[in-house]
Amino acid sequence: MAGDRAKPCELDQEKYDADDNVKIICLGDSAVGKSKLMERFLMDGFQPRQLSTHALTLYKHTATVDGKTVLVDFWDTAGQERFQSMHASYYHKAHACIMVFDVQRKITYKNLSTWYTELREFRPEIPCIVVANKIDDRPMSYLLSTADIKMTQKSFSFARKFSLPLYFVSAADGTNVVKLFSDAIRLAVSYKQNSRDFMDEVLQELESISLEQKEEDMLGKEQRGRVESPSPS
Amino acid sequence: MMCTAKKCGIRFQPPAVILIYENEMKGKSRQRIMPVRNFSKYSDCSRAAEQLKNNPRHKGYLEQVSLKQLEKLFSFLRGYLWGQSLAETMEQIQRETTIDPEEDLNKLDDKELAKRKSIMDELFEKNQKKKDDPNFVYDIEVEFPQDEQLQSCGWDTESADESS
Repeated sequence: MAGDRAKPCELDQEKYDADDNVKIICLGDSAVGKSKLMERFLMDGFQPRQLSTHALTLYKHTATVDGKTVLVDFWDTAGQERFQSMHASYYHKAHACIMVFDVQRKITYKNLSTWYTELREFRPEIPCIVVANKIDDRPMSYLLSTADIKMTQKSFSFARKFSLPLYFVSAADGTNVVKLFSDAIRLAVSYKQNSRDFMDEVLQELESISLEQKEEDMLGKEQRGRVESPSPS
Repeated sequence: MMCTAKKCGIRFQPPAVILIYENEMKGKSRQRIMPVRNFSKYSDCSRAAEQLKNNPRHKGYLEQVSLKQLEKLFSFLRGYLWGQSLAETMEQIQRETTIDPEEDLNKLDDKELAKRKSIMDELFEKNQKKKDDPNFVYDIEVEFPQDEQLQSCGWDTESADESS
């Protein structure tokens, strides 16, 4: 999967361990409007940093959550999504995920499951919001069929299946865009505060130490596998 | 010059863009024939449209006619020069200016993807509420009911045929 075209990521991701830093990633097919959503949320404040060597666009934002300043890095895909897979470093240390599909294009909805599977492979626990974009009221005259069905009156079972929140938004008229990002930041911060990432690492450390000891103590007995982080529920 | 455009069309033989408009004399329609020169079946329609729109002799009359419309008229002419039927040309224009919702855009190359994106961008800009619009609101929250009673989007069934 992501391995072959992997480029080493020199981007400093250590900072995401700091208390006031969170990393939020965007996922979804080409042309579902990920960047448009970012731009609508950040308005004039956006100065994307194109990191072409990493095929990603970085948007910086400062938010206030419960009176505390939070430095948010939004990661956007910059074309890498065409491979229907992202490099591992894209997921590394992410605290929340915004997963977008185009409510006018079925295939982008169908592909959510691919994106979700990959996300959970790397980040089994982080909060994830499903976003139905392009709900603009005006009929989608550029489409050949299913012109002006009110998609907001329909149910999308993908989100329910995985108990994920679903937001209907429009980057064009702004519907629910600010709410989406504010909630995503909030979720990222609370995930970070309550995260078991650190505990997991410690537990794994302890486990491997005790395994080594056991190995010494009871040679010949069957060795237990290392405890991995919990798999998606 | 006061000029209200009413209709704009294309004549194939001899090729000309024809505008029906009204000037100061309200109620009286006038016709302006703008000959199309140096246009072959290999010509670029958007460039031809731009040239006509910026032609000093026609500029004033074409103010209200969009570049898109002129471009489309030139596409008809081009199709005619290729010997296509009107229906064929219409279909071709449709293909080039619309997004097929079933198409997997992940599978396109950069150029084709950029084309689709520019079609989408055009619609986006039409629907976009910009910051300098007088009734612009930054934070718009709309609640959509999400319960079991909603009609299914029809995209969830595994066996759903691709054309639905």
